[in-house]
Amino acid sequence: MRTVEEVVAGVFGVERASVDESSCPETVEGWDSMGHLNLLAALEQNFNVSIDIGDAVEMVNVQKIREILLAYGVRG
Amino acid sequence: MKRTAEDGLGKWIGAAEVALLESVEEATAERFAGLAAGLLRHCPQKLWDLLREASKGELDEVPALENLLERLAESLVGVGRLAEAGDLLRAARHWEVGLAGSVYRQLAQAQMLSGETARAEETVRELLKRDPADLDALRLLYRLLGRTGRTAEAHDVLSRLVELDPTAATAAWAFRERAKLGEAGGRPVRIALLSSYVLDPLIPFLDVECRRAGLSPAFYVTPFNQYTQEVLDPSSGLHSFSPEIVFVALELEDLFPGIRRMPSVDELARSRDEIRGTVTALIRELHARCPGLIVVHELALTGPSPHGILDNRRGDGLSRWVENVNRDLADELGSQPHTFLLPLREVLARAGTERGQSRKLRYMARMRHGDAALRELARYSMRYVKPVKGLTRKCVVVDLDGTLWGGVVGEVGADGIQLGPTAPGIEFVDFQEALLNLTKRGILLAICSKNNMDDVMPVLREHKHMVLREEHFSARRINWRNKAENLAEIADELNIGLDSLVFLDDNPVERELIRRLLPDVLTVELPRDASQLRATLENLTDFEQLAVTKEDELRVGQYEANRLRQALKRSSGRLDEYLHSLEMRADIARARASHVARLVQMFNKTNQFNTTTRRYQTQAMAQFVASPDHRVYVLEVADRFGEHGIVGAAIVREERKTWHIDSFLLSCRVMGLSVETVLLKQIYDAARVRAIGRLVGEFVPTVKNGPTADFYRRHGFRLDGDVRGTQTWILDPRVDRIEDPAWIAVTVTEE
Repeated sequence: MRTVEEVVAGVFGVERASVDESSCPETVEGWDSMGHLNLLAALEQNFNVSIDIGDAVEMVNVQKIREILLAYGVRG
Repeated sequence: MKRTAEDGLGKWIGAAEVALLESVEEATAERFAGLAAGLLRHCPQKLWDLLREASKGELDEVPALENLLERLAESLVGVGRLAEAGDLLRAARHWEVGLAGSVYRQLAQAQMLSGETARAEETVRELLKRDPADLDALRLLYRLLGRTGRTAEAHDVLSRLVELDPTAATAAWAFRERAKLGEAGGRPVRIALLSSYVLDPLIPFLDVECRRAGLSPAFYVTPFNQYTQEVLDPSSGLHSFSPEIVFVALELEDLFPGIRRMPSVDELARSRDEIRGTVTALIRELHARCPGLIVVHELALTGPSPHGILDNRRGDGLSRWVENVNRDLADELGSQPHTFLLPLREVLARAGTERGQSRKLRYMARMRHGDAALRELARYSMRYVKPVKGLTRKCVVVDLDGTLWGGVVGEVGADGIQLGPTAPGIEFVDFQEALLNLTKRGILLAICSKNNMDDVMPVLREHKHMVLREEHFSARRINWRNKAENLAEIADELNIGLDSLVFLDDNPVERELIRRLLPDVLTVELPRDASQLRATLENLTDFEQLAVTKEDELRVGQYEANRLRQALKRSSGRLDEYLHSLEMRADIARARASHVARLVQMFNKTNQFNTTTRRYQTQAMAQFVASPDHRVYVLEVADRFGEHGIVGAAIVREERKTWHIDSFLLSCRVMGLSVETVLLKQIYDAARVRAIGRLVGEFVPTVKNGPTADFYRRHGFRLDGDVRGTQTWILDPRVDRIEDPAWIAVTVTEE
């Protein structure tokens, strides 16, 4: 299992070093609405959870993703 | 304090040196490990200096050497000693100590960051040598290639990455990166996508497939759910893009929302008509403004029927209704040469609908297909793209041992090979049947095998379970020579290009050889398991054609007839004796709509005997045939050995006192027999009868049409002008004469 930052870097093909807690669609190239869905799929697969649609739309940056995953009992 | 610390380190170093030089026992080994740990923390470079001078035998005694070297390499990178780290990795290779890939990656990244691109690339390629499928290494390589401007290689690496990690995310990333890289070379193709749902994620997968086929694609996707406006408005983005092929993907639920609520028999009947009407009207409007090929996705249900097992017993059952709706569409689209129905349900079934479709995607984004379905759909779509771009391959060259049968016939004899109605052996029979089916579509077969003729021919001629026989193969090279030479000769003999060949051989060494020496040949990666041979062949997308013409069906038989003609020629004394003995018959007719497919095929394939090499596609050709100002002729030839089919064509433009021969072509199969004179004479006669005073032939010289250069002069035309690469030749039918050759019996079907 990788960290949220690592999953984000992997999905969008960017350097791991360029991803931090504030990374969001405005700062990561390719993180548009289509990219968000790819990210969702990758997070679900990596952390072995099924994320609610309502929660999925709340995932506005890496920090928020981490918080939401915590609520699913996952530490990423 | 400082001095004490330095003293301490000096002692450590001394002790470590001693430990390495002594013969090492268990206790000493542990001490060494402790000392090494200390050195690692404080001064990794010194540890490396020590190790470097140790011999292989001494190293074998060092406990947990791999682990130590890995940590040492990481430390060296960490303190910026990149040169030493590189040396260490090289030494590890030399010592045959396998280190973890992560160490190499770390070094490569550090080298990249400090600008040592050449070294970084060396490190990355080392990684790829160990594991060619290392995704992280490939991504690093991609960045390095981009940085050093090697665009073509960078494109290849992107394709490889998507191949190895075929997810929508990677495909989308690769697609974005390509735009940054710029051009890769390859024939351009313009593909448009109209859909009622979000099918954008298909594009990156289609991009990879196109590039693998040597194309350089440009895509246009109509804005979501505005496909009708885009079709109707002649100034829309869609029409400005001028696509060569348009995929139309309409979802059943978008065309008929009521389908989700168990509609009644009446509602179903009404919407069946509406759907048929709407879709055919849309396609008609599209075709009126756009000359490209139109491929419509079948309609498909998105889940099991709410009627359960009673569905196919009820009048309002959905599965049979969807069958009927698709059959309606197939009838409409099948009646025209420029429209096709893509069997979407078959494609989705291969992907597996559960894997293919994610409900979450549907609700959140009106997307329909998951990664697996997108991949299958992209692959299947190439079956339409390839024939539009002339990428259809015409000949499959097969090896024998291990490919057409199991075992080596030269060793086990004809009775020992595996070929028969039970396993092992039945998988090869099945494979041969699939190959036989290809010949019925006009695809040629050839043999290229390292064998003795005497071992092979009895099997080909007499083995009880061979499906393929001698007559199915249009060429053979059964010898001990290099297969690349043999393949080149086969292409030459059959008068087709290397890019028309598909090579099937169970030996990976032969495959690699051909891939390297003859990259234009499609060398298929065959599975080691022979039971998958047939499926591999059937999965190829390189044999599709937009129409199967009579000439295609005759093709394999024609090669046999040609062999007989050659034999006759060799036995005839003089040329005119030979020509007369052929008993040639020619028929000339005015082209009808049913000829359009063959005409388009000829116009796009014929190079050597072609006066102007104008590549007209289906719509333009149909217009010529229907036009009152044009005459389109087709020439059909046969001799005593068989029919050639339609092998000549001409397009003539009529003006009041002048006729222009816009195009005149002849299949190279009948060159040198003067059949072109027959067709030219017909045009001449038709002009003379109407008192036309000027018959003008245009000739545009190209690299390939040398044989046509003296065509008009030979028939008495005079060169009138040569402007911007086009020669005009003139004849006055009222004065000059053209005669039919004596050895051809001509009939004319003039309307």
